Amino acid sequence: MLKSFLEGLDGLTLECEARRGQACSLKDLEALRVEFLGRKGKLAGAMVALAQMGPEDKPAAGKKANEVKTALTALLESRQAELEAESAQGALAGFDPSLPGRRPAPGSLHPVTLAMQEICEVLTGLGFEVVAGPEVENDWNNFEALNMPPDHPARDMQDTLYVSENIVLRTHTSPLQVRTMMSRKPPVAVIAPGKVYRRDSDITHTPMFHQIEALLVDTNVSMADLRGTLTAFVRQLFSPDTKVRFRPSFFPFTEPSAELDISCVLCGGEGHVAGAPCRVCKRTGWVEIGGCGMVDPNVFRQVGYDPETVTGFAFGLGVERVAMLKYGIGDLRMFFENDVRFLEQFS
Amino acid sequence: MFISLQWLREFVPYTGTVQDLADRLTMQGLEVEAILDPFASIAKIVVGHVVDRAQHPEADKLSVCTVDVGGPEALQIVCGAPNVAKGQNVPVALMGTTMPGGMEIKKAKLRGVVSCGMICSERELGLSEEHAGIMVLPAEFKPGQLLVDALKLEREVIEVSITPNRADCLSVLGIAREAALGFGLPLSMPKLNLVEDEGAGDATKVVRIDIADGELCPVYRARVLTGASIGKSPDWMRYRLLAIGQRPISNIVDVTNYILMELGQPLHAFDRTLLKGDVIRVAPAKDGQSITTLDGAERKLLGSDLLIWDAERPVALAGVMGGANSSISDASTEVLLECAIFRPGTIRKTARRLALPSEASYRFERGVDQVGSLFALNRAAQLMAEVSGARVLKGIACAEPKPWADRSHIFRIDRCNALLGLNLTPEFCRTTLTGLGCGVDFPNEGADPACWQVSSPSHRLDLEREVDLFEECGRVHGLDRIPAVLPKISKALDSVQLSDTEFGFLQGLKAWAVGAGLREAVNYSFVGTDDLDRLNLPVEGRIMIANPLSEDQNVLRLEIAPGLLNNVRHNLSQGNASLRLFEVAKAFVADPASDTSARENSRLGLLVHGARHSQEWPWEQGEADYLDAKGLVENLLTHYRLGSADYVLEPGHAYLEPCVRVELPGKNGPTLIGRIGRVQPKIADAYHARKDIWLADLDADLLRSLTRATKPVFKSLPKFPPVRRDVTVICPATLKASEVEAAIRELKPKLLESLALVAVYAPEGSPERNLTFRLTYRHAERTLVDKEVDKEHGKVLGGLPQKLPVRI
Repeated sequence: MLKSFLEGLDGLTLECEARRGQACSLKDLEALRVEFLGRKGKLAGAMVALAQMGPEDKPAAGKKANEVKTALTALLESRQAELEAESAQGALAGFDPSLPGRRPAPGSLHPVTLAMQEICEVLTGLGFEVVAGPEVENDWNNFEALNMPPDHPARDMQDTLYVSENIVLRTHTSPLQVRTMMSRKPPVAVIAPGKVYRRDSDITHTPMFHQIEALLVDTNVSMADLRGTLTAFVRQLFSPDTKVRFRPSFFPFTEPSAELDISCVLCGGEGHVAGAPCRVCKRTGWVEIGGCGMVDPNVFRQVGYDPETVTGFAFGLGVERVAMLKYGIGDLRMFFENDVRFLEQFS
Repeated sequence: MFISLQWLREFVPYTGTVQDLADRLTMQGLEVEAILDPFASIAKIVVGHVVDRAQHPEADKLSVCTVDVGGPEALQIVCGAPNVAKGQNVPVALMGTTMPGGMEIKKAKLRGVVSCGMICSERELGLSEEHAGIMVLPAEFKPGQLLVDALKLEREVIEVSITPNRADCLSVLGIAREAALGFGLPLSMPKLNLVEDEGAGDATKVVRIDIADGELCPVYRARVLTGASIGKSPDWMRYRLLAIGQRPISNIVDVTNYILMELGQPLHAFDRTLLKGDVIRVAPAKDGQSITTLDGAERKLLGSDLLIWDAERPVALAGVMGGANSSISDASTEVLLECAIFRPGTIRKTARRLALPSEASYRFERGVDQVGSLFALNRAAQLMAEVSGARVLKGIACAEPKPWADRSHIFRIDRCNALLGLNLTPEFCRTTLTGLGCGVDFPNEGADPACWQVSSPSHRLDLEREVDLFEECGRVHGLDRIPAVLPKISKALDSVQLSDTEFGFLQGLKAWAVGAGLREAVNYSFVGTDDLDRLNLPVEGRIMIANPLSEDQNVLRLEIAPGLLNNVRHNLSQGNASLRLFEVAKAFVADPASDTSARENSRLGLLVHGARHSQEWPWEQGEADYLDAKGLVENLLTHYRLGSADYVLEPGHAYLEPCVRVELPGKNGPTLIGRIGRVQPKIADAYHARKDIWLADLDADLLRSLTRATKPVFKSLPKFPPVRRDVTVICPATLKASEVEAAIRELKPKLLESLALVAVYAPEGSPERNLTFRLTYRHAERTLVDKEVDKEHGKVLGGLPQKLPVRI
C-alpha cells in the first residue's frame, strides 16, 4: 500500500511536469493549480489514503507527500514566472517612448523682464535694495529736485510727455532718488527699476522703455566706488572680461557725470568680427549702456542732505539696451508688439 | 555742431589727424558724432581751361568748347551758358561724375555734337544760388587740379554733440580751447586790426543805449558803420560757412553768422536808417503786443518777452530774431551792429513759446561770455569793414548795468581726490585749472595749504561751484583712468528684504504666470482714446497726454485690457491663432487728491484665446473657455493661500459678457479682487477675433496686501479613514452648481469634511442636468461605521429636494 501510494505521488509530479507547458496563460495555470493542489485536487485526493495508513508507514508517506507538494508548487510557480515574463515582454513591445508627452503649456517672461530680473539680482547681490514709485510724476521730483529748474536747457535733453503743466510721465527713474532720499536718512543703497517715457519714436527710440536706477549715498563714496560697482556688475551681467569705460558727459543731477560704455559684447572690443566691421558697436569696440556720476550737491540740498558730510553715486541703465545686447535682438520695436513667436524665444 | 578743422587750426596749431582729435575731444566730454567731408559731392570736379570756343552749328545758344582738363587730350564739351569764353578756367564734371543733385555725367550728343563732360555753374556745384552762367575760376588755377583743392575748400569737418552745460564750446574758439587743453598746445586769438574812422563820427554821439533791467540784459554794446556796400561775401567766407552747413546771405549778415560760429557771440545788424530816433532801448514787451520778425511772421508777445526798441517801436525780439522793420537789405549802407548779453531763461522762454529756435537763441539760453563779447564786436566790425567797404565810427555805444563779476570758489584738493577716488597732485590740479583759464590763489602762510581760492573764467559759466572744478580736474586727467574699487554697502538692520518689496511680489506673480503656461506681454502704458471708447470705458478718470506723439498714444490705460487686446489683433494678423498671454502693469485713473494727480494700480491681466492646448496629440482639442480663465484665477488664489472666492455674475459690464466678479468673502463683506469675462463678440470682432477672448483682470496691489496677511498654518494629518458617498442631483439647467453646494452645506450634515463636484452631465437640449457631488465624511477620533454615515447622508438626500427644485 505504501509502495503504490508513493508511486501515485511520483506520478503526480511527472504528470504536472508534462502538462504545465500546455498552460499558455495565467488562467490555464490557475486551473492546473486547482487540479493538482486545490482542496479537491489530485494531491488532496491522494492524501485520503494517507489517513488510513498504519503508524509505521505514516512518517515516510507524510514526508513524501510534503516533498511532492513542494515540487508541484515549484513547478507551477516557475511556469508562472515564465508566463509573466512573456506577457511583460509583449506589453513592452507595444510601448512607444517616442510618442509626444502630455505637455503643459509653456510660459515665458518678456525679455525686458528677464534682463531686469538679472540686473536686479546682480545689484541686490551687491547690497542694493529695490524701491518703486509712480510713473506719473510731478515736475519737482522729475526735474526740479534733480537740478533742472524750469527754463533750464538741460530739459531739452529729454523730450517730455506732459499730463499737465506740472505733471509729467516720468522721463527717467531718477525721481526715485528724490523720493528715496526725502523719506530716508543716509546711508542709502537702492535700485529703482521701471518704465519711463519720452516724446520720441523712431527706429532706435520707443516712447516707453525701461530703466534701472542705482543710488548709493554714504560718507566717503567716491567715483572709484562707482566704477568698482559697475565693473563688478557688467562682469556678472555679460562676461568676466567685459570692460567699463567712463566718457565724460553731463547730467544735471550728477557732477562729475559720465556716459557708461562697455566693451562690445559681440566683438569683445575688437571692432570687427571675422574681418567684417562689428554691427553692434559700429567698429568702435564700445557700446553705451547708460549714464552715471556722483550725486550733484544741489540734489543733496534739495532733499535735505548735507553735501559736506555725504557723497554718493548714481547710475541709470537702459534695460532694452541690455536685453538687445544680451539676447542679440536687433529691432527695438519688437519688444512691444508682443508677437508670440518673439515671446516664445525667451522661454 | 559742425567744426571745420581748417578753421580750428587758425586758433590752435594742431597738426594731428582728425580722428585723433575726435577721439581726444570725445574722451574730454565733447562727443564727436561724425567726421564729415562737406564737399564730398563735388570732390571729383576738376579745373578745366577753355582752349577754344566755337558756335554750335545747329543751335544759337550752345557753344562747343575745347577744354584742357590736364589730360593728354583736350575734351570737347557742349555748353549752354552765355558767359563761357575762350581762355577761361572753369569747373568741369568729367564723364562718370555724379553731380550733387544725383545726375550722372555721361558722354552725350547735343544737337548732333558730342559732349564729353559738363562745365558747371555755382548752383550746380552747390556753392551758391548763382546759375546765370558757368562759374569762372581764377586764372592761376591749373587744368586738371581738383576743384576742392584749387578753392582750398574745407575737407574735414567734425560734428560735435555739445551737452547743455558747455555753452562755451558752441564755437570754433571753444573747441580750440579744448583741443589746446587736450594736446598741451597754445591758443592764439585772431589779430584785431580794427580801424576806427574818426572822420565818420562818434558812435556814442549817434546812439544811446538804455537798458530797463540789468538782470535781463547785463550789457548792450553797439558799433556804427557807414557806407557799407551790400553784396556777396568773399569766397573764403562763403565756402567756410557752407562747409559747416550755414547758407551765405550777404556780406554784412554773413559776418554776423561767421562771428557767431567762430566766437559763439550772437550779433545783430540793423539798417540804421530804418531805426527811429537816436536811442536803443532794451525793455520787455507789453502783454498782447506783436512784432513782425524778419522771417515775415507776426509774433504775439507776452510781458515776459524781451524786446529791442528804437525811439518809437520794437525793432527786434531780443536774442531770438530781428524785426522785419529794421533788417539789412541790399540797399542798406548804414549799419548798427548789436552785441549784447541777455538773461538765458528769458530767451529760452520766448524761443520755446514761439517755437522759434535760432542759432542765436540756442547760445543765449545756454550763456554767452560777457567779457569775450567786446572782442567779438570789434572783430565783427573789422570784418564788416573789410568785406563791405564800410567805415567804422569811433567808439562803442554801450550800457553795462551789470558788469561781469569774477566768481571765486574754494578748492580743496583732498576733497577732490576723495570724490574722484584719485590721487591727483597739486601740480596737476594747478596746471589744469590755470589751463582752463581759472585764476588760482594760493593760501597765505599759516592758512590751510590744501585750500585754494579759484576764480573761473567768464566763458565757463558752468564752473559755479567747487565740485565743478573737481569735475574739470577729473575730466582732464581722464575719468576713464579712475580705478575700480568695490564699496562696502552698509545696511540698516530693518532694511526691507527683496521678497517683501513691490518689485519682489510682482516678480513672484510673473513667475506664477509663467508656471501657469502664460507668456508675458509688455505694452505701452498709453493707448488711444479710440481704444478706450471701443471698450465703452468711462470718459471720467481718464488721464490725457497733453502733447501726445500720436492719437493712438494720447491717454493712459484705465485698465489692462486695451493693450492685451491690441496684442490679440497683432498676433492674429501674424497667424498666431492660439494665445495665452499675461501682463503685469499699471492702470491709471485721475485722482485730484494725489500729488501726481493720478492713482496708479498694478494689475494682472490674463488672456486666453483659441485652442486650449497644443494642437498636438495626445491633448483633446477644444477652445479656451470660461473654465480655463477661471481655473487660472483659482490656481492663483490657491498659490497665494487666499482660499476660494465667490464668482458672481455682473450684468451690464462695459466690454465683458458674461462678466464674473471674483470676490473674496470676509468679515466686512466681500472684497473684489477682479473680474473674469468674455470680451463681447462685437468688440472682439474689432480685434479680428472670431473665437472667444477670455480675460481676467485682477488687482495685483490688493493681492499683495492680502497675501502678506496670510501664512501657511500646519494642521495634523487625519488618523482615521474617511467615508465617501456620491450624490447625483438632477436639477434645472439654470440652477447654479454653487447654489446646490450651498444648499448641501446649509443642511449641515455632521462629520462632513469636504464636498466636491465630480461630474456634470448635461444632455444636449435637455432643460435638466445632472450634478454629481462627492461628500467626504470623517471623524477625527475614530473610524466611522456605515450606519452613522447613512444617517447624515440621508439628511442630504432627503433635504435637498425640499430646499431646491431638484431630484436625487
